[in-house]
Amino acid sequence: MDASTLLLGVVVVTALAFDFTNGFHDTANAMATSIATRALRPRIAVALSAVLNFVGAFLSLKVAATIASGIVESGAITLTVVFAGLVGGLAWNLLTWYFGIPSSSSHALIGGVVGATLIAAGTGAVKVDGLMSKVIVPAFLSPVFAALVAIAGTFLVYRITQRVPASTRTRGFRLGQIGSASLVSLAHGTNDAQKTMGVITLALIANHTISPGAGTPFWVIVACALCISLGTYIGGWRVIRTLGKGLTEIESPQGFAAEGSSAAVILAATHFGFPLSTTHVCSGSIMGAGVGKRLAEVRWGVAGRMVTAWLCTIPAAALVGAGAWKGADAIGGVGGVAVVFGAAVLFAGGLYLAARRIPVTHANVNEEWTGSLAPDKEQVA
Amino acid sequence: MNQYVDVDALWKVLVAGLAGGVGLVALFAVGLVGLSMRTSEHAASRTGAAGLAVALVCFTLVVAGAALGLYVMLKK
Repeated sequence: MDASTLLLGVVVVTALAFDFTNGFHDTANAMATSIATRALRPRIAVALSAVLNFVGAFLSLKVAATIASGIVESGAITLTVVFAGLVGGLAWNLLTWYFGIPSSSSHALIGGVVGATLIAAGTGAVKVDGLMSKVIVPAFLSPVFAALVAIAGTFLVYRITQRVPASTRTRGFRLGQIGSASLVSLAHGTNDAQKTMGVITLALIANHTISPGAGTPFWVIVACALCISLGTYIGGWRVIRTLGKGLTEIESPQGFAAEGSSAAVILAATHFGFPLSTTHVCSGSIMGAGVGKRLAEVRWGVAGRMVTAWLCTIPAAALVGAGAWKGADAIGGVGGVAVVFGAAVLFAGGLYLAARRIPVTHANVNEEWTGSLAPDKEQVA
Repeated sequence: MNQYVDVDALWKVLVAGLAGGVGLVALFAVGLVGLSMRTSEHAASRTGAAGLAVALVCFTLVVAGAALGLYVMLKK
């Protein structure tokens, strides 16, 4: 086994790890409201979402061929840049998971790659126009869109079903929620698994393992589908708790309106080629569902923290990406990449251990929100 | 500003999002109203039958709308 094969192997493993955190982080987008309103039991919800993510990954095989295409000069992308970008995205995903903050996995990846490119090839290699139009502007617009749709939907839903007996209403909307949440899961698998497939395909092409015109090898599709659905099944309970309980108290009609809005906006955006982040759309929808119901409380402090994290995503991931590239470059060769990989593993392990100290699991994800992520043990009967 | 924003795609997304996210959600709610007419005191009466018919039409439209949404996304 020569050095470049080894390097390729590390990149593929890192990409699959990123894919795993992608699923893990984003379970909340589809399932947080269904879990919060008890439309689905927590374990069942993540299992359903995992299966649909897996199926979704196979549905559309037209791979969005390049990561960050139109954002950085494609000539600047080397295996080490891809690796450093992935490390940046990975680190940000894990950090936000630890704090239970929903944040966009695609932004984290793009941030990481931009940072690595900046330091590897200079400012000229980053296309500011592309970054603005494909990432920054949609990031501001998508939560607003989703919130508007969800506000209107929630308002109408309560208005229309005013006279419907509460039991029928709750049961009916819970069933509806299962449908709309499934739709979001499927769309997530289709859109997000593709990104990692694109990264791995790019790495394979850069290493001349496959020819530039070749499609994504079947094993890549299977591996990506498996990783994203495994991550989904393990479930980022911390993020689920923030979205389902922290942001606002959710009833099943609101949950249905929120997921309906998310599904509609995501499907429409994919169709018309407007790049939105699933996370931004879903968080916006849930806030909208909180605003749309009279007297419902949106915890703006939690929302503010979340938006702050969104603003930090690209710079922070870029910083880690740049650092990872610099580190790998300074040590040099495969050894440098291996050292950075080791550091990333240590970082992940540390956060995992830290999270174990105040665990959020399927058992306590729905506890009353008492101002912080940690479920208050005293209140458990 | 226009070099940063694809205005054309933007308003299409907003319109389609509203149609699906508000229209279909509201239709589902109307369907529930129909169902509740059947289960309340008018159970066997004409109102009940009409309610059931409304519910069936609404739910069918919602499912068709969702299927259409999936179809256009995958065709892309």
